[in-house]
Amino acid sequence: MIDFKERYSEKKHFFRRLILICTFFGALFLYLLFKTFSLQISSYTDYELAALKNKTREVLIQPRRGIIYDRTGEIIVNNVPSYNLILNPSQITDLNNLLLEIQTIINLNDSDILYVKENFKIRSKLNRELILKRNLTKEEIARFEVRKYRFPNSYIAERYSRENLFPYLFSHSVGYVGNLNDNSLQEILSLQNLSPKETIFKYSNGFLSGKTGIENVYDQELRGFFGKKTYEVDASGRLLKEIDTIPALDGKDIHTSLDLKSQQVAFRELKNRRGSVVAVDISDGAIVTYLSSPSFSVNKIANGLSQNDFNELIEDKNKPFFDRAAQGRYSPASTIKPAIGLFGLENNIIDWDFTIDDPGYFELPEDGRIYRGWKKGGHGKINLQDAIIESSNTFFFSLAYKSEIEELIKHLSYFGFGRNVCLDCFLPDNGLLPNPAWKMNTLNFGWFKGDTVNLGVGQGYMSATPLQLAYYSAFIANKGALNKFSFVQDDKTLPKDVFYSGNIDDKDWEKIHKSMIGVIEQPKGTAGRLRELKDYIIAAKSGTVELVSTDTKEDYKIIREEEAKRDHAIIVAFGPMPNPKYAVSVVIENGESGGSVAGPVAIEVLNSLLDYE
Amino acid sequence: MNKIFNPNKSKIYFDQYLFISISLLSIMGLLFLYSASQGSTETIIKQSLFVVFGLILMFVLSQPDPDFYKNNALFFLILSIILIFLTMLFGKEVNGAQRWLDLGFFTLQASEIIKIALPVFLAAYLYDKPLPINLFQTFITLVLILTIVNLIRVQPDLGTSLVILVAGLYILFLAGLSWRFIGISFGIFILSLPFIWNNFLEPFQRQRILTLLDPSADPYGSGWNITQSKIAIGSGGLEGKGYQMGSQAHLDFLPETETDFIFSVIAEEFGFIGVCILVSLFIFILLRCLYLALNARDRFCRLTIGGLSLLFISTVFINLAMVVGIIPVVGMPLPFISKGGSSLLSFYIAFGIIISMATHKKLMQR
Repeated sequence: MIDFKERYSEKKHFFRRLILICTFFGALFLYLLFKTFSLQISSYTDYELAALKNKTREVLIQPRRGIIYDRTGEIIVNNVPSYNLILNPSQITDLNNLLLEIQTIINLNDSDILYVKENFKIRSKLNRELILKRNLTKEEIARFEVRKYRFPNSYIAERYSRENLFPYLFSHSVGYVGNLNDNSLQEILSLQNLSPKETIFKYSNGFLSGKTGIENVYDQELRGFFGKKTYEVDASGRLLKEIDTIPALDGKDIHTSLDLKSQQVAFRELKNRRGSVVAVDISDGAIVTYLSSPSFSVNKIANGLSQNDFNELIEDKNKPFFDRAAQGRYSPASTIKPAIGLFGLENNIIDWDFTIDDPGYFELPEDGRIYRGWKKGGHGKINLQDAIIESSNTFFFSLAYKSEIEELIKHLSYFGFGRNVCLDCFLPDNGLLPNPAWKMNTLNFGWFKGDTVNLGVGQGYMSATPLQLAYYSAFIANKGALNKFSFVQDDKTLPKDVFYSGNIDDKDWEKIHKSMIGVIEQPKGTAGRLRELKDYIIAAKSGTVELVSTDTKEDYKIIREEEAKRDHAIIVAFGPMPNPKYAVSVVIENGESGGSVAGPVAIEVLNSLLDYE
Repeated sequence: MNKIFNPNKSKIYFDQYLFISISLLSIMGLLFLYSASQGSTETIIKQSLFVVFGLILMFVLSQPDPDFYKNNALFFLILSIILIFLTMLFGKEVNGAQRWLDLGFFTLQASEIIKIALPVFLAAYLYDKPLPINLFQTFITLVLILTIVNLIRVQPDLGTSLVILVAGLYILFLAGLSWRFIGISFGIFILSLPFIWNNFLEPFQRQRILTLLDPSADPYGSGWNITQSKIAIGSGGLEGKGYQMGSQAHLDFLPETETDFIFSVIAEEFGFIGVCILVSLFIFILLRCLYLALNARDRFCRLTIGGLSLLFISTVFINLAMVVGIIPVVGMPLPFISKGGSSLLSFYIAFGIIISMATHKKLMQR
């Protein structure tokens, strides 16, 4: 009985301890279930997303860039396919042997082989393609294709390169493409709510973006939209199968107003001299000719240029990279005279019958300082029309002298000076329209009356770009109303600048036109030599930009020994008269004579535009 | 001996509750493993053979009288210690751990044998000692337990050594270790934690503990396993992704899917419902064992059943707690589910012994 009692108490004891243990494990497992519950039920969405993110990999598909056309539908920039030999590394067991075999039919250079060997392992692991050789020739393609059966894991596929079909003609207007840096790539992709990741490239050069010109300004339109492929991947990143594809949206083609034919003429006529030609359709401000010279090959830049070639371009003293048309600053010189005349008319300082006696110089009443004309002895008794035709400096010196500077500045800015006149030009310079405040701020000098006098003949501080000179020319041609310039017009409402005037009417504009026609057509006109180069009437105003101020022709003869100190030649012109269609500006650096050096270029371009060749 | 009290020679000893639930677990285990092994037929055939052999072994081991185990407990213990030493000398090294003894047809993990042998021996040793046990006996058993635990720990196999430690302590606890003693030793244990941290843990084990505290500190390195396991479990949701549809398991994000992390696969494919069913089955087995322990014929049987069943449930808990991120990754298979040889068989053996203890009654009680 004692034994039984003891057994009973031991059992009771054992039971109590079992209950304790049960409670202990009950608590543990409850906590475990609670933890599982919180993972599977409370935080389900987070983990579901995490699992989804784990097993999918998105790959971008590069869009094809838009094509750029001239106004007649000629292709300027195209995507030219090239053929590449591509390997599928994950299926290849013996790379060296394969390379040896391929080398028997296609010539591989050391850098190709090195590239493949360096990237083979990782691409193989990730099941990605690997480009072995780019730009295969037709013979290479043919040789490979007939032996294709021997290379089940290699294939030839198309990749594009961006090519300008006229690599020297449109270097500054259309510009070129280049590689994208990581920041801009991120920015571009974020527009589509994407982030940089592995990409299926359409271009053998990888990501492209417009660096200059139209390629840059219209980059977003040309670029298109990236597509996206979604793959299922395993933990090692190997692509297993395609789950979803959003195709890339190709970039928009751009139809520009540029005219291939006139561009070719301008290029031919400039003969690689330093200078610029800009021509526009005055009805809508469409830029039809845009050349900065000397030029360079955009294709070389876009498709990889050797360091030497690049340095040569950079160090070239003629600065081929520099876009003279939009960024070159030149004094407008005598070409400014019609605008100054219009100022005199507008402010009742002069009328068409007003004359002065031109002794060949203007003496500033304040200090007796002499401002000389180009013709010794002067032009005699002269009115506005003749002052434009013969380019009398004295007339405009004295007119400017009577002008209020701030009013004059305001007037000139109507004509496009000192401001941006182009909607879609690449980094256009505003030139300089100086006023007293500007002079005080930058030169720390007060405004002299003489500064205003100088402005009367477009010399001194004032400078303008060839683009602005073309605008000025077109503005006069169109009688004081003009759309802002643009390369691309479709669907755009083009803003218009209008010259509101109290005193200048149609007749005044026609008389200005007549005066500028006289510059060429009248025997005493400064550009009379151009008369024979055309079969129709053109209005023009030439100018000669003095880089060094000289008092006598003998002095200039010494100066011109050094080419860089010779005068710049400028002309603005429009035609055909009396109903002008196109306006043009030509600048030739150190060309000396606006009329006889820049003039013929302007005429040839107008001839081409008007089909008078 | 049985013959004297049991005139019915053909009696078989069998507990249908345990047998059915363990068979059910084993079959579910095969299904889970098929998915976890990416549908590897070879793995499943091998595992099926283990399961069938295991069930037979369990049945066979439940036939001898408990006295057989009691009388041979010391022999089994010595045999398994010898196996441990043999492993140390001739063991196969895998991933820096020397745990396996290559027997040609089977690689034996000796720690899995001693895991069973030690509790049985302790129960046999304490069988006729007056309860509660005195300090000397406590000391002897503790030294024995810690020595064996340390032998396993240096292999290194932290998981198994921990399980052996707790199994030994369960026996002592069930044998009526005084609360005062438990309190004092627990105090000493807490105080010596820094010492254990510095001297008994391998650097990678320390790293695992640190990882547990903040798996996001290094999600692609040491935190990878636990991060991916949590994603697998969490993304299973309530109903799971469906059998063989778990992306975490099938796209290799989850490590060790066939062994330690098989529960993550189950949770991913069968969701919280599946988890609850599985856990219920484990809990049912525990409760059945404890019920049997309470009604066992003597102290030896009680202690053995108690010790072995707690060993079982501790293993289950450590595995589940590890994959859901409650405790560090220690390397512990899920009983009857994970792929494996020795560890799988060890639990069939344990339950064979449990059933033997539970079903053999003394004449007096009949």
